Amino acid sequence: MATGILPTEAAVIAVPIVTLLLGLLIGYLAQRSGYCSIGGFRDYFLFRHTRLLSGYLTLIAASFTGYLLFWFFTPAAMEHFFWALSSGPAYPMPGAPGGLNAAAYLIFAIIPGFLVGFIAVLLGGCPIRQTVMASEGNYKAAWFFVGMCVGSILFAAIVSGWVVSLMRALGFGV
Amino acid sequence: MSSEPEQLRSPSVWSVLFRHPAFLGAVIGILAAFSQALLISAGGPEAYGFCVACHTRDLVNGMTNIVTHTNLALAAISKNAILPVMSVVGVLIGGYLAARQYREHKIRKGTIREYAIYFVAGILVLNLAMIFGGCPYRAALRTGYGDLNAIAFIVAMAAGVILGAFLMLKRAEKEDG
Repeated sequence: MATGILPTEAAVIAVPIVTLLLGLLIGYLAQRSGYCSIGGFRDYFLFRHTRLLSGYLTLIAASFTGYLLFWFFTPAAMEHFFWALSSGPAYPMPGAPGGLNAAAYLIFAIIPGFLVGFIAVLLGGCPIRQTVMASEGNYKAAWFFVGMCVGSILFAAIVSGWVVSLMRALGFGV
Repeated sequence: MSSEPEQLRSPSVWSVLFRHPAFLGAVIGILAAFSQALLISAGGPEAYGFCVACHTRDLVNGMTNIVTHTNLALAAISKNAILPVMSVVGVLIGGYLAARQYREHKIRKGTIREYAIYFVAGILVLNLAMIFGGCPYRAALRTGYGDLNAIAFIVAMAAGVILGAFLMLKRAEKEDG
């Protein structure tokens, strides 16, 4: 069990507050900069514009720097930093539906990644861009956000189970 | 752009930096690591500092669980905390405040058909992102954390974007000619 700077009793109270403040700052800056990950790849491919792409690439570099920095200060909070080395190159990070083998998680990365990129570029923005556009008064983006909310319940109630059964039936179980 | 004349008058380093996507990228990266260092005692997973899809899932399912006493799946950090992660609420409010402050808030309506398309696309994108276990942002954080699957996700996403952009280009050319 990883331990952070705050003890468990304080952390459970701090979670909504800290994430809300973080979200406020990110939402504010995202509105100012028109931040979008999908838009970065799209603009680079269509016009060779690097402005938005630089935002996404900086995020990757900065997250590595940030994790490295806090790994020095609070190693207990970054238990599996350098994931591929500390947990094995094929071991998937938690988040996707569980109970499948490593090949399944690679498939889960490639097929959804391709489809998310394809769908989002046709809509004109990644999830954060849609959320920010919704807050700017764009009704289409607001419906996208409502779709995400309905989708969360559908995923937990139905889709997650389907995906796991399908992958097990295809021979990707453990 | 409403703030364009201001920038021409006084293009201070701060105002340029403030509006640059790379600055926000750096902010998200460092603060996501900071929030993990601060909050990880509440529960995992790791590299979970910021994610639009997962945090929406946690918010909606967590609130649904609290109100209707169901048991929908969500991340441990949101399950253990008194309330689920609120970063998406923050993004909505922050974006609204910035749009208000710079007079960029404007109601833009679409057709019923467009609303239906965006609604279905929202469901699809969230489910696809959750099958992977994160939206493009958590994929970036996971890459920074050293997860190889996340690199595969980003490469596949770039391929999807290129195909989609290519189709858009073809369609635009057809409409022009």
